[in-house]
Amino acid sequence: MEPVAVLDGVGKRYRAGQGSVTALHQVSLRLLAGEMVALVGPSGCGKSTTLNLLSGVDRPDEGEVTVCGVDVRRAGEEVLTLLRRRHIGIVFQAFHLVPQLTVEENVALPLALDGRRDDSRVHDLLQRVGLTHRRRHFPGELSGGEQQRAAVARALVHRPRLVLADEPTGNLDSASGTAVLQLLDELRRRDGAALLLATHDQRLAAVADRVLAMHDGRLVASHRP
Amino acid sequence: MILRALVLRPAQRRPLRLLLTIVGVAAGVAAVVATIAANRAAVWAMREGVVEVAGGEVLEITAPGGVPTARLAALRRLASHARLAPVIEEAALLPELRETVKVLGVDLLTEVGLANLPPLAGGQPQWESVLRGDGVLVPSALAERLSLQVGDRLLLAARSRTVQLIAAGVVAPQRLASAWNHVIVMDIAAAQELFGRHGYVDALQLRPRPGVTLEQLRDRVVSENLLPPPLALATPGQRAEGGQRMLRALEFNLAALSGISLLVGAVLVATTLATSVVQRRRVIALLRSLGAGRGQIARAVLVEAALIGLAGGVAGVLGGGLAARAALASVRATVASAVQSAVPTTAIDIDPPLAVTGVLLGVVVSLAAAALPLLEARATPPLQGLRGEPPVLLPARARRRSALLGLALLAIGAALARLPAVGGLPIPALAGSLAILAALLATAGLAVDTFARLEALPGLRRAGVLLRLAGAALAAGRRRAAWAAGAVGVAIALAVAIATMVSSFRATVLHWAEQGLRSDLWVRPAAVAGVQVGRLHPDVVECAIQLFGNEAVDPFHVATVPLHGETITLGAGALEVVARHGGVPFRSGEDARAVFAEVLRRRGAVINEPAARRFGLAEGDVLRLPTPKGVLERPIVGVFYDYSRSQGMVVIDRADFLAHFPDIGAQELAVFLPPHADPAEARQRLLAALSGRFLVEVFLNRELRAEVIAVFDRTFAITTALQLVAVGVAVVAVATVLLALLAERARDLALLRALGASRTQVARVVLVQAALLGVIGAAGGIAAGLAIGLILVKVVNVQSFAWTLRLLPPWGSVLSTAAWVALGCLVAGAVPAAGALRVAPAEVLREE
Repeated sequence: MEPVAVLDGVGKRYRAGQGSVTALHQVSLRLLAGEMVALVGPSGCGKSTTLNLLSGVDRPDEGEVTVCGVDVRRAGEEVLTLLRRRHIGIVFQAFHLVPQLTVEENVALPLALDGRRDDSRVHDLLQRVGLTHRRRHFPGELSGGEQQRAAVARALVHRPRLVLADEPTGNLDSASGTAVLQLLDELRRRDGAALLLATHDQRLAAVADRVLAMHDGRLVASHRP
Repeated sequence: MILRALVLRPAQRRPLRLLLTIVGVAAGVAAVVATIAANRAAVWAMREGVVEVAGGEVLEITAPGGVPTARLAALRRLASHARLAPVIEEAALLPELRETVKVLGVDLLTEVGLANLPPLAGGQPQWESVLRGDGVLVPSALAERLSLQVGDRLLLAARSRTVQLIAAGVVAPQRLASAWNHVIVMDIAAAQELFGRHGYVDALQLRPRPGVTLEQLRDRVVSENLLPPPLALATPGQRAEGGQRMLRALEFNLAALSGISLLVGAVLVATTLATSVVQRRRVIALLRSLGAGRGQIARAVLVEAALIGLAGGVAGVLGGGLAARAALASVRATVASAVQSAVPTTAIDIDPPLAVTGVLLGVVVSLAAAALPLLEARATPPLQGLRGEPPVLLPARARRRSALLGLALLAIGAALARLPAVGGLPIPALAGSLAILAALLATAGLAVDTFARLEALPGLRRAGVLLRLAGAALAAGRRRAAWAAGAVGVAIALAVAIATMVSSFRATVLHWAEQGLRSDLWVRPAAVAGVQVGRLHPDVVECAIQLFGNEAVDPFHVATVPLHGETITLGAGALEVVARHGGVPFRSGEDARAVFAEVLRRRGAVINEPAARRFGLAEGDVLRLPTPKGVLERPIVGVFYDYSRSQGMVVIDRADFLAHFPDIGAQELAVFLPPHADPAEARQRLLAALSGRFLVEVFLNRELRAEVIAVFDRTFAITTALQLVAVGVAVVAVATVLLALLAERARDLALLRALGASRTQVARVVLVQAALLGVIGAAGGIAAGLAIGLILVKVVNVQSFAWTLRLLPPWGSVLSTAAWVALGCLVAGAVPAAGALRVAPAEVLREE
């Protein structure tokens, strides 16, 4: 099976003051379609950097990053933008819904950015995340759990091939977090998307198909729960 | 969807900020539209007053001092090609209405004389009185205003002498705004008698017969050498253009001044957009994370700018129409003063092209102002790549870059200011002024950063915690603070520059008036809106001579003559009188009495500074001027400062003048009394002697000086209005930015409250921020304003009007303007300070 994303010997450094910090060192991983992979490790170990490279927000200093057939290191700005718009869905820890748009508009946003409209898809997702009755509300009127469920719907509305979730339950209580994660997993499975879940919570990692452990910018372990 | 997220919904939630920005643009557009409309109306009235009355396809033969009627005989050879119509055009005063009218003298016995008149109304005129010389044809609108019926008497002041005429008939102009509404028609012989134009007319009109074109007629005249110098041939339009050319520099400078308000409006738009881009940085970053392209983000910013510009442009055009009506009287007076003749009343017309131009101006200016905010929005990375706020203090490289950019812009400004005018207009110098403003904006961030560094100095740490907190808050929101400080700086710079120009001009004129206006009494015909109507009757001069003696009276005559393709004024006074008492200051510094004595000795002339600069003339050069009696050749003996006109002027002795020009009456009259004489009593005697027969104004010396300054203040009233607009917009810019800063800093303020600061202390932090913005802006603004003021005084004025001005910044006004703006910023901080009072710490901190 063709992998959805591949990191091969990837290194990334950031400038810090007079010197630099190595965020990633010789990281290699593959993500296959339909699988859920948890990336675990303490704060500052390189999880977010890995997600940034996979979403095309950043470029590696060494190695190769290929996402949905796009060479992230060499692709132009426009290509990476289209990659995020059409093939990648992102769920943030802090939800990051657009405050000036309603829930319905937030969910439809990725399609709108691509000049498309699919009302039935939007309504279907709203129903599945249990927010149909809140679709005309603004994010500020929703609870944390509701906001994250809206964010999940937004991440999947355009049927991405890869979903990146950076600590998606970090701002939620235990019950809400579990519910959101289950929802995310269920919905992305229906579309066959790969999911890379960055978390420091070992309990969340337990539901993944594979767990990759990171420490100090290196992948130190890989196992199946 | 992006538009909804970034523009429309935020506008719905915060309409006040958007409204204030639109008002800023509208104020700028209104200033430009009003100035152009008022100027156009006045210039149009001036032009139409010539063209419409002359009428249709016609050529005119004119000459300095008038065309001798004896030329008519020689021109009868053209009878097959054209009909000849002698014309006299003079200004007179309607005492009842205190208005100027044009008196048109035509040959009412001939068909050609009647040809161009509006149709008669109200029955047959009383031709008898017309031919007798005391009957006139009156326009219907005027007859209505004066409640005149045919046969009624009409009082007129011609050459300051009051005469009773008879309304012999009524003419009905076809258009509501016709120039004929301000024209009284009389027989040409009567007009010659009334205005002392014996043997001369103002123009000989050649009206082509059917089948003859103007070009054919012109060719015939030229080929048969029918016009020996100084006769000239032109169309009425060309004659009017001469007047328009005189106004070109004035119009340009008025438009440039009004453009200042538009510039300040642009700064406001840039401030608002920059603030909103920074405020929406996270949303923009989020959209980028979700796949929004840079182009999509940029389009949203441009659409917001375009909408602001469109709304501001429309509001500005509407406001401009109202403001133009208010400014028209002032502009008419300015135009009349410039062309030295009255300008008829007229209506303001904001025609579709001007309205569209105004709206487009608003849009273009807003789009231009969006350039830097646009670049910032485009550069916003996706959310994951979004770093925190840039370091509180600028790194050294950024400081150097900012300083170098500022210096480069200043150097460019200085270089541009040294360039010559383009087409007679001070375009490079004004561009140099813009470069200085750009330097101010480019270094605003550096100024805020420098202030923040000063705050960290050990010596200032004890300055007070509120001051330090406010300074730290500004530094933390440095980019927004820089925009606001820049806006304040630009507004102050423009206000200081204008104030410097006006103050320097005023002081120069005052000094010139003190030195040059030496007469005890000054007599002129009655004036309307500060512009005298017509000339003095010779009997007025005779009366003054009888009362005060020949040696005390200086009648001043004027005529217009061509010089190097332009029209200048040839003036003449009793120089032997002036040589005893002195007069205007001379460029060489020599005593005026000595110069005038030299003029008499050498039969020479003096010229004013505009003439010297425009034509490259100096002492020792020889002037050759056409006159009715041949060419007048005179050596230039001196160059005098003259702030009463921007056109060239030559002055010779009165006896010399009258040997070459007919005596149609002096323009004005100066009286020099013996020492210890009572000028007020002398005035009474003169007025008593003239009473009932003449309408004149007699000024005492101090009243004359006050009148000179009053004319000056009237002319520059519009600049005061523009100053106020600039200051108002600066205050709005600061209020906009402070509101945005408050919204962003709510957490910091909540933290202060949690740590024990009172509500009042928190509000004071915000107020001190506002005042600091004002102070930072004022410091840069004053420096830039003085530099631009220097350019306006020493370059723009010289290139536009050929006047040398002393540079005299109004320090008191400069400091008070800065203080007012700083106070305004404090007031602008009141709303966000009130918002700060309502910050609930628990709520804000919990959201984190």
